[in-house]
Amino acid sequence: MLFVVWYLSFTATRLDRLHHRVETSWANLDAALRTRSALALEVARSNLLDPATAMLLLAAAHVAVIANQSERADAEEELSQLLLSLLEEDALDSEGEIFQELSQAREKLRLAIAIHLEAVTRTQAQRARPIVRAFRLAGRAPLPVRYPFEEIQV
Amino acid sequence: MNVTTANLKKLKIGMVSPYGWDLPGGVQAHIQDLALYCMEQGHEVSVIAPAIDEDALPDWVTSSGRPVAIPYNGAVARVAFGPVANRRVRRWITDGEFDVLHLHEPAIPSLSLLACWAAEGPLVGTFHVSAPRQKAIYAVGPILEPAIEKLHARIAVSQTARNTLIDHLETDAVIIPNGINHHAFASGSIDTSVGERSIGFVGRFDEPRKGLSLLLESCELLIDKGIEFKVVIAGPGNPDAFLEIMSAELVARTEFLGRVSDERKQELLRSIALYVAPNTGGESFGIILAEAMAAGAPVLASNLPAFQDVLEGGRVGELFEIGDTSELALRIENLLNNPERRMALRALGQKSSLRFDWGQVGESILDVYRMVSSSGEKVRLGSDFRFSRAKLGREE
Repeated sequence: MLFVVWYLSFTATRLDRLHHRVETSWANLDAALRTRSALALEVARSNLLDPATAMLLLAAAHVAVIANQSERADAEEELSQLLLSLLEEDALDSEGEIFQELSQAREKLRLAIAIHLEAVTRTQAQRARPIVRAFRLAGRAPLPVRYPFEEIQV
Repeated sequence: MNVTTANLKKLKIGMVSPYGWDLPGGVQAHIQDLALYCMEQGHEVSVIAPAIDEDALPDWVTSSGRPVAIPYNGAVARVAFGPVANRRVRRWITDGEFDVLHLHEPAIPSLSLLACWAAEGPLVGTFHVSAPRQKAIYAVGPILEPAIEKLHARIAVSQTARNTLIDHLETDAVIIPNGINHHAFASGSIDTSVGERSIGFVGRFDEPRKGLSLLLESCELLIDKGIEFKVVIAGPGNPDAFLEIMSAELVARTEFLGRVSDERKQELLRSIALYVAPNTGGESFGIILAEAMAAGAPVLASNLPAFQDVLEGGRVGELFEIGDTSELALRIENLLNNPERRMALRALGQKSSLRFDWGQVGESILDVYRMVSSSGEKVRLGSDFRFSRAKLGREE
């Protein structure tokens, strides 16, 4: 009996730690996304792009910046896809410092997504365990979810 | 120079398409018909457009490279951008020595916008689309506004397209509608196998905004009432999703023809008893309504602003409330049971649709060309190229 109580409390602590990790990794990911859209806007306004590329990038980055919570995932996914297409067409192939910064920001974003997804996957796996569900060990913490924009290359 | 010699002057006209030449679309179809009309009148025309297969282009069309599918404004657009397209459009402007440059959809981030930034001189822009105000319109203003300012004349294809332009870019335009080849629709054979009580529908029927499901719902109501009719649907798309939800009775009365040739479309429109356009939105013109009218098909359409314009507010065709399937069913029933009314609409529609004939539309556009090019100034590359710092400005 004593062991059961100890095990439940141990599992709950583990879960709490995981939830906390998800929160931290999301905060990092959020910051990386904001850096990317801010730099994308700056690139679009740099006068270094052709007007069609600049307009596409301005529109997508602007939508990502002003998106509310429910629109955010779609907006970030569109920005990721657009940046990929622009790079494929060599439309962002310029040596300016600002392009380097954007490329570094995308690198950091890739890392932030990988770390966040790992935390999310572990937490989801723990919460799917019967013991966790039966004793409601997760409490009221929301179930972390994966967004489509995290699944594509950025 | 008096008026007669001004009209006789042969122009060198450059036209820019933002969308892939070998992809289906109303804008490309309009540019092609306009180019052919101008060439028939003895003018010289060159078109530049993105293209998937450069070798299949007619000799008066230049490719700017492949169109690229990108997310734009909540949908996927196939457009041209980047250094290759930019270099090719600049080279084409330099080589063309045009008297006038006609840019289609210069507010879409594609080839026409590139051309508008690069060129200087007599520029004409045509705005086809009607769209809800975009979220990013303020952000992209600094790119669009200087481009729109450079246009010596702005054309909107309908009042709806003009309203979009006023609302989005605070700029006005003259209205010149899309053109049709009236004669090709009005004369020719009739396919009697289509039947005297057939309802026609033409278009990409699997796009929800085209409203085919509304028409089919109304047809189920007609079957319940014991009305005799047939439905003929032409256009690209997969009918499976519709066939699943249609009653067996309706399936037996419906024919999906798939994509048809222009000639077959014309014959079909001449042969049906009634053309129904149940669209729910997103239309800036409704060229198919004008074509159906020219072919002598009575038209019953939803009361979208664009359709109201084509049908002269309901004088030359009938309008029903958007999405109201019971009203649609009732109107179909009344029209099918009233041959005199259909005869009257047939005559009114054929006469009214003459205003969309290329003979009129093409002449109006040529008038615009003559006005903007009257100074004799040629189209050339702008000297104040904003992107000169980048590699993009260099010629190939």
